[in-house]
Amino acid sequence: MSIHPQLLHLIIALIAVMAWVGLNALVLVYFERKGAGFIQRRPGPFEVGPQGIIQPLVDGIKLMCKQLVMPTGADPVLFWTAPLLSMTPVLLLFLVLPYGPWLTGMQIDLGILLILAFAGINVLALLIAGWSSNNKYGLLGAARAVAQSVAYEIPLLLAVLAVAFTTGTLDFVKITEGQGPWPWQWNMVYQPLAFIIFIISAVGECNRAPFDLPEAESELTAGFHTEFSSMGFGLFFMAEYSYMVVVASVASTLFLGGYQGPFGSDGWWWYLPKVYAILMFMIWIRWTYPRVTFVQLLNINWKWLLPLGTVNLLATAFFMKLF
Amino acid sequence: MELMAKIAFWIYALIILGGGIVAVGSSSLVRALMGLISTLVGVAGMYMLLGTPFMAFMQLLIYVGAVAVLIFFAVMLTDAHGRGDESEPAPIRQHLFALGAVMAVGGVLSWLIMNRPPASSLVPAEVSIEQLGHGLLESYFLAFELISVVLLVAMSGAVLLAWEKRGKK
Repeated sequence: MSIHPQLLHLIIALIAVMAWVGLNALVLVYFERKGAGFIQRRPGPFEVGPQGIIQPLVDGIKLMCKQLVMPTGADPVLFWTAPLLSMTPVLLLFLVLPYGPWLTGMQIDLGILLILAFAGINVLALLIAGWSSNNKYGLLGAARAVAQSVAYEIPLLLAVLAVAFTTGTLDFVKITEGQGPWPWQWNMVYQPLAFIIFIISAVGECNRAPFDLPEAESELTAGFHTEFSSMGFGLFFMAEYSYMVVVASVASTLFLGGYQGPFGSDGWWWYLPKVYAILMFMIWIRWTYPRVTFVQLLNINWKWLLPLGTVNLLATAFFMKLF
Repeated sequence: MELMAKIAFWIYALIILGGGIVAVGSSSLVRALMGLISTLVGVAGMYMLLGTPFMAFMQLLIYVGAVAVLIFFAVMLTDAHGRGDESEPAPIRQHLFALGAVMAVGGVLSWLIMNRPPASSLVPAEVSIEQLGHGLLESYFLAFELISVVLLVAMSGAVLLAWEKRGKK
């Protein structure tokens, strides 16, 4: 029996994505801890391997060896579904990201829409996790996660829409090719406000500090994943880092010219530095700014980002009609 | 590829039916909601199979990512552990009525499908997002705008209802 070539391509792409997601999580954990150490004037992981470079791998093994515990009174089906539901959609999101002219798992017209649609499932996963663990901290964390994600999704969509207006497409490859290789030809220059709104809402959507209220450890122990041990927690953790990579990739595609390089040197070697620059920026602000309060968080969104995003969209539409 | 499509169809059909049964039969409200969500995901898969990825993604984005989450939020604030009056098993009479209702609708539908099958195309024609946009804002402009008016009215109505309650307290 022969396998359809398209199906084979998809399976290979999925396996590559799985490896890539795991690798990214390891690298990001290392960078995060080293970044935190640098900002707080301490060495960070140092003992395991040269400069502590094997630390994330060892941590991963430790996490896998831990005991899986389920609290009494928890809903057993939903409790174990939640981490899986958080992790699996991520694999699909990486399929449509354009890593290079030929390095895209699956090129479709509606790439951005696919990412937005499947990323929405993560909120549901956090909600199920918080509710099913029969823990008040979990429940409060889940409630916060919903209010935050639902709110920050709107300015995010408005920023994406502004770019979609200017380029007239939802296809990542076409958006990339609509920009030039040099920094002054990027969408960031034409849509600075949309870029800023996108980055702020992306940090909010990823539940990263200073917007990490769903898992605020000083108030809620660990929020929605308080009761999760071992790989239950590990999957949430990996999903969070993977969503960070996804939003950074989307941002670098939409605003920073994607995989395009000067003098026709297109390829992933231009794409990855841009993605990691945004990730480093996210790590930097996580360890620089204190956590906002919930009222501040919602005020930033509803009183600033949403009106600004709407004005930006209207202005974009106006200028598109004018010129 | 045709075999793949058939397999996908049956998987989606099973997800839809299974989700529906869980949604109706589960004693826990949250589990019932999970059934509803899997039905919605299954329907999104069916849209995909029909060659309308835009509809499928919108179904996921709006129903799974927003509507279901908001319903979940509302359910979460109540005691959803299935200890209310309606959690007791229903009398046999109600089961018979339910069976009758299913048989009536299902019977009519299956009779129609068996005896008057519509001509089906082998490969569904994919509608591009440009075509869809032109259709919505050109030929079906009035209907499109009317739907937004209906949504606006519904939204204002909801705000108004919530406002009155707050005032009475």
